[in-house]
Amino acid sequence: MAVQEIERQKYISGVDVPYRQKGLLITPELCIGCRGCQTACKEWNKLPGERTHNRGTYENPPDLTPNLYNKIRFVEVETQQGLKWLFISQRCMHCGEAGCMKVCPAPGALYRTPQGAVAFNKDKCIGCRFCLAGCPFNIPRFDSNSKVSKCHLCSDRISNGLPPACAKTCPTGAISYGDRDKLLSLAKASGFKAVYGDKDLGGLGVMFAFREYPSFYGLPDTPGLPSSIVFWKSILKPLALIGLGGAVAAAAAHYITIGPKEPEEGGEQ
Amino acid sequence: MSEYLVQRTTTWERFNHWVLAVSFIILCLTGLGFLFHSLNWLNTIFGGNHLAKEIHRWTGVVFTFSVLFTLGSYLGESLRFSKEDTQWLLNLGGYLSKTAVEPPQGRLNAGQKVYYLVVVVLCGAVIIISGFIIWLAPSTAGWLRLGHLLHNLAFVVFVTTVPLHIYLSTAANPGTFRGMTRGTVTKTWTKRHHSKWAKELGID
Ligand code: HEM
Ligand code: SF4
Ligand code: SF4
Repeated sequence: MAVQEIERQKYISGVDVPYRQKGLLITPELCIGCRGCQTACKEWNKLPGERTHNRGTYENPPDLTPNLYNKIRFVEVETQQGLKWLFISQRCMHCGEAGCMKVCPAPGALYRTPQGAVAFNKDKCIGCRFCLAGCPFNIPRFDSNSKVSKCHLCSDRISNGLPPACAKTCPTGAISYGDRDKLLSLAKASGFKAVYGDKDLGGLGVMFAFREYPSFYGLPDTPGLPSSIVFWKSILKPLALIGLGGAVAAAAAHYITIGPKEPEEGGEQ
Repeated sequence: MSEYLVQRTTTWERFNHWVLAVSFIILCLTGLGFLFHSLNWLNTIFGGNHLAKEIHRWTGVVFTFSVLFTLGSYLGESLRFSKEDTQWLLNLGGYLSKTAVEPPQGRLNAGQKVYYLVVVVLCGAVIIISGFIIWLAPSTAGWLRLGHLLHNLAFVVFVTTVPLHIYLSTAANPGTFRGMTRGTVTKTWTKRHHSKWAKELGID
């Protein structure tokens, strides 16, 4: 698609990536919890290892960190057949309507790549951490300089036609990379009625084919922007300009209609 | 002092007022530059987003002290609300007609008291506390959403009321501005706008 057409689409849709091309389809039931993707991600992005301690689970580290962009979450569920393990890759979803980008005060610190990924530029990031407030999935993490760190869909690989390191490594096909439309039809063809992220938040770049409820995996069943961010975006932000302009206009209107409280007759002011 | 003049503000009050006003304007401009990407050029004037962030934070510290220092000058009097103050608010200080008479006001009129208490003290506290939350609180979505929301709420009140304050203390009331520059106002002005205060000062 020509750049002008992309810009035009952005303008009319209000969503910044109607043109998104690439994405990931994650099929948790295929995941065997090997954490190859977690390791490959650290390897490609040159992220140092971190010392953790045994918490009585194979899930490790316990949470995303500035040096861990992709983590396999281990969920234990008790079923009638006994204990069941669910595995899911936890990372940035590359939202079509990205809350992080909406609240970021430093243009260019978070940006949309031509493939549709939400990437970051630490040189432009001012370290305010607002992107975490805007994210529905609790993803951005901050390094020792308070600069943003998160999955960028291996923007450096995909811009050169390579799949992200995680998808490249996955031995079972639980993470597959490709054209978003194709991934969607693939999931439908494999019998998944609904794909998580198909339409939510302007369409997620990382979609999930679930058999269970998303909440089993620690994801919101119906993802949406945080309500405080929606309120800020739709009410407070416009109100700041309307209020400022309105106050100046009201003052001017008062001055030329009713006018100032003139000095008393003959009085020296 | 000339026999026509009345001392309206102390040197300290004036100095602090202009620290408050200048720090507020810097905060407001950098804040707008952060809030709207279309206004980000404002922060280019302040040396780019990185420098603008530092300026915004440290000017916020100056603003905080300045707001605290106003408490000594205005809090006590603003909290003393009289019957005339209620009347003043009910006819909006006479600003909506050319002929309205102002109920007698003390050194501060009811509008100034409300502006001080609601905008400077209340919204000032909210914008200051939320600013420090954004700056220093732990990196959790909860803290940052709280800080972000409160900071923006208070900001809306500030940008809507401060222009009115500027208008009312300059063009709308000739003779007022000198009270914040030279520190004096005329006796005629005092009788016209603050007749109760004039009486207390023994001006006939
Ligand atoms: C360039 C902008 C400003 C101008 C020209 C201005 C002007 C003035 C003047 C002339 C007065 C004296 C009013 C009187 O004697 O009755 C005054 C009082 C005062 N100003 Fe400002 N001001 C400005 C900005 C601000 C800002 C930004 C704040 C606070 C956020 C502020 C807070 C106050 C307070 C608390 C008083 C004391 C009485 C009251 O409540 O009005 N001013 N200002
Ligand atoms: S921390 Fe950086 S990327 Fe996140 S909102 Fe602030 S400036 Fe933007
Ligand atoms: S998941 Fe969070 S960090 Fe990733 S694009 Fe969406 S809002 Fe931004």
